[in-house]
Amino acid sequence: MAEHAENISTRFDPGQEHLGEVYAKALLGATEKTGTSDAVVAEFESLVEDVLNKLPALRETLFSLRVSHDDKLALLDKAFRGRMSEQLLNFLKVLSRHHRLSSIGPILNAAKKRLNQLRGRVEVFVTTAAPISNQLLETIDAKLVAMLGKQVIINTSVAPDLLGGLVVRVGDTVYDSSLATQLQKMRTVALEHTEQKIRQSLGRFVGVDSEQRSSNP
Amino acid sequence: MKFNADEIASVIQAEIENYNSQVDVREVGTVLEVGDGIARVYGLSGIMAGEMVQFPSGTIGLAFNLEENSVGVIILGEYLDIQEGDEVKALGTLLSVPVGEAVMGRVMDPLGNPLDGKGPIKTNESRPVETMAPGVAGRQPVREPLQTGIKAIDAMTPIGRGQRELIIGDRKTGKTAVAVDAILNQKDSGVKCFYVAIGQKESSVAAVVKVLEDHGAMEYTAVIVSGASAPAPLQYIAPYAGTAMAEYFMYKGEHALIVYDDLSKQATAYRELSLLMRRPPGREAYPGDVFYCHSRLLERSAKLSDELGGGSLTSLPIIETQEGEVSAYIPTNVISITDGQIYLQPDLFFKGIRPAMNVGISVSRVGGSAQVKAMKDKRVAGGLRLALAAFRELEAFAQLGTDLDAATQSRLDRGYRMVELLKQGQYKPMDVVDQIMVIYAGNGGYLDKVPTTKVQAWEAGFLQFVKDQRPKLRQQLKEQQALSDELVKELDQAIADFQKQFKPA
Repeated sequence: MAEHAENISTRFDPGQEHLGEVYAKALLGATEKTGTSDAVVAEFESLVEDVLNKLPALRETLFSLRVSHDDKLALLDKAFRGRMSEQLLNFLKVLSRHHRLSSIGPILNAAKKRLNQLRGRVEVFVTTAAPISNQLLETIDAKLVAMLGKQVIINTSVAPDLLGGLVVRVGDTVYDSSLATQLQKMRTVALEHTEQKIRQSLGRFVGVDSEQRSSNP
Repeated sequence: MKFNADEIASVIQAEIENYNSQVDVREVGTVLEVGDGIARVYGLSGIMAGEMVQFPSGTIGLAFNLEENSVGVIILGEYLDIQEGDEVKALGTLLSVPVGEAVMGRVMDPLGNPLDGKGPIKTNESRPVETMAPGVAGRQPVREPLQTGIKAIDAMTPIGRGQRELIIGDRKTGKTAVAVDAILNQKDSGVKCFYVAIGQKESSVAAVVKVLEDHGAMEYTAVIVSGASAPAPLQYIAPYAGTAMAEYFMYKGEHALIVYDDLSKQATAYRELSLLMRRPPGREAYPGDVFYCHSRLLERSAKLSDELGGGSLTSLPIIETQEGEVSAYIPTNVISITDGQIYLQPDLFFKGIRPAMNVGISVSRVGGSAQVKAMKDKRVAGGLRLALAAFRELEAFAQLGTDLDAATQSRLDRGYRMVELLKQGQYKPMDVVDQIMVIYAGNGGYLDKVPTTKVQAWEAGFLQFVKDQRPKLRQQLKEQQALSDELVKELDQAIADFQKQFKPA
């Protein structure tokens, strides 16, 4: 469970993921009415990253099932009242009442995803072999916008074993032009074709001294 | 053999020069958990049921369960090197196996990979493993016989080309022997044979392959093996893969025979998969669609209409029962799907009646219309099944030890001799003409004076006698396939002549 993780868990659990979607839908349903979705989600993200991840004691207290709902309410009020929007605080209280504060990680992920969807934005993951220049990033951005017809949010990462080129991931689809994959593919194709050719005309490949036996490899 | 490295290098160089790079577009997911031959995958949002996926190690899987948050994948091969977090790639195609003449004489796994060390299978053709069975308009009634070469079967439960005849019985009652004899008898008949071994000991499969090789049957036979140590997914798809290979010949207008040995093990493998995938269990913990699993397989055996080439696929599924329990779930299912069953019983087997077929409850629902005319004749095997069933009743009654009148005694004597006559050695399939002659002799009462223990000697001697001294009779019977009055006269004469010289030693 998340209580034992270093940070708010990034371990994947389809059940938690589903739960996150339900709560995120509810949260955004409320904030869309007041038009504060972007602000609340940004605040939510900052809460998780800047507060809960940095203060393990607070996190464990909030996540713990041993601490009663009333104590958590008092703690939340004391810590956050006035420093965070009323909507987010209420949401945290609701989570506390349902004993779901520990699912806050998946809820945040789902909320970010859902907000992107509502705003017509797509999250794109770009992996390259070497750090990427801003200029190149802009070109990639422009290309992706033209291709997907949507605004894109680019997350970059570096993986040296790609050797070169880049891998773009949109949702479940991967566009892979990395050198590593190309080489791998070339290897399989070349092997296959060479094997075929050897089988078709064995005589061409066999040394002079054993041409008589060439019918049976 | 010495290879010329320069030549090979030049070919590879040409390949590299002509290689045009393309962006590799693929739909991917991530392995959440893996084990017991299945994997749960997150992502793959556009995947379809039954679609192939590939793991980083190159192992192939099939999308089996499509759920709200994940995809259940059955892994066809080694699953120990797959890890949590691995990328899974959708291949966008259905599973298919190599088909064609190249598979004949080979021993393969269910994916068509050779296991016999005879090199790769050279064919460009393939067929999807799961295909629809031919529809109503594409079929015609079964009308040609498929001779198994076993007297008891060809006489009393004849099998037609395109029929599904179940072989059912306890362990060690000779089920596989019947199927193997049927394959051996297809020599020179042009029927292509397929033996699918599911969950069998590798040693038993090796023994079957050896028998087929020794009798020259491997030339027209292909063996598909997923042994007892193969993961459940491979055992599950093996019969479908074998059927795909056999169907190729059916749709080409040829005839094929497929043996599934055995479908109870396949049902068990399917149960294992379904339970691991958390599909709800039903009776005997089998999933609800285990009937469909077998019915869609056996429906693919058919006699095609003349417009489609008139090819056929005959199947001999095997089911192993526990303690003769035919009313268990899987046996009743398969009995209801097939066009008849050959029921083998251990007590008959130990009495020395082999094949140990119980005549009373073995039936063939369509084969009768495909039986050779001479065999169906009332003077030969027509009515033999009922006569034997009546004999069994009488025999049970006679065991009470009461004095019997002459008529009953003579019926008993006839019965004993018929039972003796229907015994047959393993791997000794008999030509249908020979079968007709000896059954005619037995049914006509010509053996009543021969001691029971000498019946088999009489049979062998008589067949040799006809072969050597009356080849014309044999030839005519083979050509006409029916018993005309003249032929009957000649046959009577031949039997009478042989009787004179036969001396029971």
